[in-house]
Amino acid sequence: MSFPVLDEHRLAATDAATLRLLNGRIEAWAQLDDVEDLRERAHAIRMAAIDDLDAHLDRFVSALEAAGGRAHVCATAEEARATVVRICLESGAKLAAKSKSMLSEEIGLNAALEAAGVGVVETDLGEYILQLAGEHPVHIIAPAIEKTADDVAALLSAVDGAPVEPRLEALAQAARRQLRRVFEEADVGITGANFAVCETGSICLVTNEGNGGLVTALPRVHVALLGIERVVPTLDDLSVLLQLLARSGTGQTLTTYTRLLTGPRRDGEEDGPDEVHVVLVDNGRTNLRRGRYREMLACIRCGACLNVCPVYRKAGGGAYGPVYSGPMGAVLVPLLRGLEREPHLPHASSLCGACTTACPVKIPLHELLLDLRRDLVGEEIVSRRERLAFTLWSLLWSRPALYRLSTALGRLGRPLGAIAGPGRTWAVGRALPPLARRRYRDRA
Amino acid sequence: MNELVETFARNAAAAGFVVHRVAAPELPGAGVSRAAYGIAATGSVVVASSPDEPRSRHLLPEVHVSLLRQDAVVPDLAALFAALAGKLPSALAIVTGPSRSADIEQRLVVGVHGPREVHVVIE
Repeated sequence: MSFPVLDEHRLAATDAATLRLLNGRIEAWAQLDDVEDLRERAHAIRMAAIDDLDAHLDRFVSALEAAGGRAHVCATAEEARATVVRICLESGAKLAAKSKSMLSEEIGLNAALEAAGVGVVETDLGEYILQLAGEHPVHIIAPAIEKTADDVAALLSAVDGAPVEPRLEALAQAARRQLRRVFEEADVGITGANFAVCETGSICLVTNEGNGGLVTALPRVHVALLGIERVVPTLDDLSVLLQLLARSGTGQTLTTYTRLLTGPRRDGEEDGPDEVHVVLVDNGRTNLRRGRYREMLACIRCGACLNVCPVYRKAGGGAYGPVYSGPMGAVLVPLLRGLEREPHLPHASSLCGACTTACPVKIPLHELLLDLRRDLVGEEIVSRRERLAFTLWSLLWSRPALYRLSTALGRLGRPLGAIAGPGRTWAVGRALPPLARRRYRDRA
Repeated sequence: MNELVETFARNAAAAGFVVHRVAAPELPGAGVSRAAYGIAATGSVVVASSPDEPRSRHLLPEVHVSLLRQDAVVPDLAALFAALAGKLPSALAIVTGPSRSADIEQRLVVGVHGPREVHVVIE
């Protein structure tokens, strides 16, 4: 397995961006009267919804239908892709405008739409840049974190067929102009959903740019992709989570546009979609509903754990895989896809616990990572040889006499170790440090 | 002017709104919306879709003005939802400043898809 290594530029960009975001969170949390109380409440609200998920989903679907929306429950990524493609084709759509959705990345929606002849354009600036570059997001809230203004200028110039200056304002204006056409021409608007409110059947959608508003105002059809765990019982509960979401993600008190969408346009309204479809996606989430990993379903995708993680900040999002990265990704992806398919991810952590401290909904991320490592051994996913080595090691070093024997052998065997045995591979290009003649314990 | 409105005005200015206390400014080409509520704690204006208030009105123009009545200012999000009493419009937008993005090099730029200049007139 090979991991892409960040070059100096990307490393500096990732470092600077994550530092800004994490300082933003710390300042925004400090402005709250009692952030610990709010985090506890947020945790309780999320867990109450997850503990009784079926009932909450039923309530949400009933309220959505009462508001004139339609629900589509999909067990797998394949089913979800097929459902969205079918909705687009049935409405005769040629072009879909998308607002940022990590779930759509998770299910690989864009490729499926394009294969079915439906054009799809990302409208979040960062996602648009990545789509033009043919790349995947490397941060769940700052997807193009590694791109420079020069990179972006080259991509936007290629669309215009004329040079766009690498000045920030010029770039934003070029993207605004290029994407305005997309909003106006699109037949379908596709979004994610930050939350779904059970009591009202509403989708809550937050964006800073306003693209979430435009894709749900201008196209005839709105398709919202909803992870089944993102339900919130009441608007009052939603207010607790909204107080934490933007503060934890970017350090804002609220995201610029926080939108509650409740069904299609009503009589007399001149814009808004005629049809609203909510695609409820499981895709492995049910695996987490029982047992100790269920707390991972509380995640609100703010990205705070990425920004504090020493591994994420040095390795970058690309090292984790194409969708979720950082501590939340290292826990979630193996659980969704199966530990045997992602055995490396639980090791992408120093277990320092910074992620757990930063999590607004108090998911014990580093403990879950440790539990996953335990499962790797327990479920015999780790190779027999590695398990045998660690078993022998623990056998030796948990008995004083054998420990002493092993260090004595170590002193004796050091010159040999570099020549033969398992030490040889390790010793290539390295000098094996000599063990001290007198042990520390003997000096006392 | 009461304390709630003062808090709203302070936080709205901090969020990037130009706050007017007397009359609506003359801004040719600006979109004008009637805000259903204002939120003091965050300095947000709340725009509810209706036959008189299209969803895209506060998004399409480069400059946007919200008209907000003093008695429509509520303390915080929880108070907003309590005031709505479960009766939601088809689209409720809680707007906190101009359209913005930090997607390029984490540097802030305004007016990406929505307005770059936002005004609120407290009446």
